[in-house]
Amino acid sequence: MNKVVNISDAISIIKDGDTVALGGNTLHRAPMALAREIVRQRKKKLNIIKTAGAHEVDLLVRGDCVESVTAGFISYETEFGLAMYYRKAVEAGKVKANEHACYTVMCALNAGKINVPFMPVYGLKNSDLINANDYFRVITDPFTGDSITVVKAIKPDVALIHVSECDEHGNAIIDGPVYDDVLMSRASNKIIISTEKIISPSQIRLKQDRVVIPGFLVHAVVNIPRGAAPCSQPGKYDINKKVLSDFINNKDNDGLMKYLSDYEYADKKMERKNVL
Amino acid sequence: MMTQEAKNVHPADIMIVTIAKLLHDNETVFHGVSSQLPMVAILLAKKMHAKNLNYLNIPGGVDSNPRNLLSYSSAGEDIYNNGCAVFPLQEIFDLSMRGKLDVAFLSGVQFDKSGNVNASVIGDYHNPKIRLPGGAGSAVLIPTVKRALIWRTKHDARTFVDRVDFITTRGNVDRIITPLAVFKYKDNELKLEAISPLTTIDEVVKNTGFTVNTQGVRVLDYPTKEEMLLIKKIDPKGVRYKEF
Repeated sequence: MNKVVNISDAISIIKDGDTVALGGNTLHRAPMALAREIVRQRKKKLNIIKTAGAHEVDLLVRGDCVESVTAGFISYETEFGLAMYYRKAVEAGKVKANEHACYTVMCALNAGKINVPFMPVYGLKNSDLINANDYFRVITDPFTGDSITVVKAIKPDVALIHVSECDEHGNAIIDGPVYDDVLMSRASNKIIISTEKIISPSQIRLKQDRVVIPGFLVHAVVNIPRGAAPCSQPGKYDINKKVLSDFINNKDNDGLMKYLSDYEYADKKMERKNVL
Repeated sequence: MMTQEAKNVHPADIMIVTIAKLLHDNETVFHGVSSQLPMVAILLAKKMHAKNLNYLNIPGGVDSNPRNLLSYSSAGEDIYNNGCAVFPLQEIFDLSMRGKLDVAFLSGVQFDKSGNVNASVIGDYHNPKIRLPGGAGSAVLIPTVKRALIWRTKHDARTFVDRVDFITTRGNVDRIITPLAVFKYKDNELKLEAISPLTTIDEVVKNTGFTVNTQGVRVLDYPTKEEMLLIKKIDPKGVRYKEF
């Protein structure tokens, strides 16, 4: 079944208030083109799920699309520092920060993946995080009577993942670090993939053991070379420091509009070429 | 009065050599995001006394031999490539849960004398003055890793406080290394173990918000010529200075 669609049709799958998981990690292989389209389509009140996020979370918050962010770490790392749009929105009470450890987001997704209501986490102890957050509870192990902390399951409505190669059926290969993308693809109800390159189904079959997301789990595929830009894509391109710097420094609405329009051509290039 | 030696040494290099010497051969050692300094220290240890150290990281490259370190990230492709295996981050956490991760480099924003770490907020948790990047790895690793090595590139009384605003975690903190000093966690409290040759005991005491026992405190070594040559070979572009 041919699942290749335009970016606007793919993102129209997302409804206001959805829980959306984003693949990649910090400034690496984030699904940036898909995130930009979310902002363009003015989606609202999304609940974002990420282990360690940076520019994509910052953009979605700046675009006024976000109600809450569930993550272990939100920052651009050392050189570009804290995600200021995210941070200011949390401090102003506009966005709820569901603070997790990166690992408890993984555990919550694992629970979602196997359809159980929560996941025990051995290492979460001695922490004020447990009482401060409703998604952590301490329960009694029914076998030993010991206490154990558990985290509530997370089942995203949609996962957005940018991959290296994909065929028209959605069978996807990820080059380089996979981070938590495979886990997200299992726990989420629907998967939208953007890909650097579409390859043929017969080429995919020659690389069977490298396919990490089987097509039968995937709802939509969008052909977007450079779909992670201005973040990095392994083996292909590094971050664009100027774009990130401008995004961070040009704080007014014009700055956001310029950022979105500067990428409009690249994000939709393959649609114009009518190449699927 | 600074010696000729002192004038040319960056605190990062003293910290890197100090940290490298805290790592042992054959240990499993992990660092996370924003960790350029421990990353270089791990690679230095592997060139010196810890050739069989198992270097683990977020992208999942085991024992990666990076050719070109990224300046802006310690979670990227550069430290995934040229490894001997792939061991993803979730597996590294799982390993620590099982009690088999030897060392983790972690951070935080506030530390108090009893070993509490705050990486979450300044102010009230639900209405914070500042929302910090978050629990990241520390919240589950500090209680489970065999030794947590914490490093900070700032040492001031806002970092080393009498009482943290929020306890993100507490546990197996072994040492805290800063540009001024090394603290060791011993007998349920943080004790001053050593100071940088670039500073004085008075400066350390002045910049620490809890009382420190200054007895038996030694002075750290400057890096040797050989150590500096190795560091420059590992990190010719100076990514280790990015955290300062």
